[in-house]
Amino acid sequence: MKKLSLLAALSAGLLSATVAQAEPLKIGIIESLSGAQTSSGRLYATAIQYGVDKINAGGGFNGEPIEVLEYDNAGGAPGAADKFRQAVADGVDIVFQGASSAIAGQITEDVRKHNIRNPGKEIMFINVGAEAMQLTGDQCHFYHFRYTTTAPMRVNALVQSMRQAGDLGTRVYSINQNYSWGQDMQAAIEAAATDNGYEVVDTVLHDVNKIQDFAPFVARIKSAEPETVITGNWSNDLLLLMKATGNAGLDVRFGTTYLDQPGNIANAGETALGHYIANNYDNSAGEPAFADAYKEATGHYPLFVEPQTIFAVGALGEALSGVDFGGGEIDVTTIAKALEDTAYETPVGPITVRPEDHQTIRPVVVSKVVRNAKYPADDTDMGFEAVNVVAGEDAIYPAQESCAMDRPD
Amino acid sequence: MEFAIISALNGVIYGLLLFMVSAGLTLIFGMMGVLNFAHASFYMLGAYIAYAVSSIFGFWAGLLVAPLIVGGVGMLVERYLLPRVHAHGHAHELLLTFGLALIIEEAVKLFFGDFPVNYQMPESLRFAAFSLFDTNYPFYRLFIGGIAVAMFIALWLLLSRTRTGIIVRAAERLPAMAEALGHNIPVVFMSVFGTGAALAGLAGAVAGAFYPTNPNMGLELGVIVFVVVVVGGLGSLKGSLLASLMIGLFSSYAVGIDWSLATLFDLAGLGGWARAVGGLITMEVSSISGTIPFVLMLLVLLIRPAGLMGERN
Repeated sequence: MKKLSLLAALSAGLLSATVAQAEPLKIGIIESLSGAQTSSGRLYATAIQYGVDKINAGGGFNGEPIEVLEYDNAGGAPGAADKFRQAVADGVDIVFQGASSAIAGQITEDVRKHNIRNPGKEIMFINVGAEAMQLTGDQCHFYHFRYTTTAPMRVNALVQSMRQAGDLGTRVYSINQNYSWGQDMQAAIEAAATDNGYEVVDTVLHDVNKIQDFAPFVARIKSAEPETVITGNWSNDLLLLMKATGNAGLDVRFGTTYLDQPGNIANAGETALGHYIANNYDNSAGEPAFADAYKEATGHYPLFVEPQTIFAVGALGEALSGVDFGGGEIDVTTIAKALEDTAYETPVGPITVRPEDHQTIRPVVVSKVVRNAKYPADDTDMGFEAVNVVAGEDAIYPAQESCAMDRPD
Repeated sequence: MEFAIISALNGVIYGLLLFMVSAGLTLIFGMMGVLNFAHASFYMLGAYIAYAVSSIFGFWAGLLVAPLIVGGVGMLVERYLLPRVHAHGHAHELLLTFGLALIIEEAVKLFFGDFPVNYQMPESLRFAAFSLFDTNYPFYRLFIGGIAVAMFIALWLLLSRTRTGIIVRAAERLPAMAEALGHNIPVVFMSVFGTGAALAGLAGAVAGAFYPTNPNMGLELGVIVFVVVVVGGLGSLKGSLLASLMIGLFSSYAVGIDWSLATLFDLAGLGGWARAVGGLITMEVSSISGTIPFVLMLLVLLIRPAGLMGERN
């Protein structure tokens, strides 16, 4: 009898403890933390953690620190689907992901279906790096937010800035990877031709990360006699292409989108000098304080995909500051609506969400590889120097007609 | 014409690089019957060791030390890991080496980081060998090709013209008999495996300075190397050389070809219709050049399952 009453007292105590404790907001990072894409996946995770730490230092949300849970999708969509189910079981409210559009496509579909089946327990997906057009096209839905650029934004900013600097020329070659991203790039390069006074002399799409030897492509590029080669290639496909071009002594300028991936500048060496990149941010265009604060926390300046990820978490933090659940149950729909209305001020300009398709309208920074850069890349004396910051409203394109978004009431 | 000549040159050199990596795999399979899944990882290991050594002692030291260390690792694997699963058959050996490949990849990331490392060829080798149609041809590509050719000749002479070669071949055919004649078969097998691994290490040390040295390089080349070995005939050195060159040349020429199935329809006057249909029909050969080796493998497996130069067994 005594035992029983003790048990009753204990469980009563436990119960009241859970009532008194507020519900923490849970963020799930479903990233490629092993396998071929580890290098990118790790950067996203680091930047998200940094952003969340900042929110938590300011008091967290709903009376509790925000919890971050990391899930390794092992670099594939099946792994991501599996980890998404686990995240749901763990009670995650907001999912973050960036490396690979294929994985983002899987997650956004899973989130959409989950939200249909579980009204009142919605999950939000903040996409910090997947740039496939269809994510804000026929796959778009209210709970997906894209906090990065897309191919037309990058290409428009890139060719405008290169033309203004007198480095574009009139003959442009398009070489891209044969999947959604590369095809989007090629379409954007062709679409921007007339307005920017160039001719696309040839286009080629190639397999993704399968080509070891780019010399044959260089031979093909050479025979088209371009002045500028524009490519959305990333990782090895970019590095091998640039090295092969440099080795052949071919005198062309590259317009790229992922040249700032760590290791690229050191590996390409002097071949990289004078090439352009259009990206979400560059340290040389922004505030030193932003870069220094990040370095203090993580040991390196924000690079590659990290700035855009920090901005995404920053925007979320700002949205959260306007939402108050009084320590009670978290309603993700309210947070999503607040995020939609948030204009987040970055060192290069504001980021807003376009309500029609949840693509962010954001500045695009175009920079060039130079010697003696202020922020050297990969321990070399080379680095990026911003030549132009294209404002969000100048870089944006009309929302795709294929996006039919169902809004909650 | 210009494109044809340059593509031929590019294709041959790329083919020789493929041969350089697949030679060790062929040797190990041909002599021991072990399909070594970790072979491409040895290639990556070679590149990383060469990078680590060359940053202190210079490029040539790296080139010398990398094959030795990788060969040593190979010997240890053969001596201490493979015998444990040998009794269970080939599938277990395959699984073991597959696991080993994953471990090596993650270990490399642990020590050298996720990003490509800055492993460069020495300045003394960075020059144009000749200029063809206004395009410089890098000397280092010829260097890669030269090493591959030297590797082929040395291996071939060793196996077919020396006493060591006779013993190795005898150990492969009739191990019990060779052992009865007083030859130490375990040591022979260990040396063969070590040599195969060392060849992969050398290939990594040479190629890593030209292509980026990154944690994915084993994965990227691994699949294609298996294709080379299957097309050439498992265990046939000459077959590997032939298959490597074929794959190199085919991939090289495919890049310049804009044909698609729609071009075929043009002959029948249906080109316009085919392009309107789109999809697979309008896919250009150049955009699937990376797939050509696999198509070749499929054809070979259908027509001649033992490979181009493999013996039927």
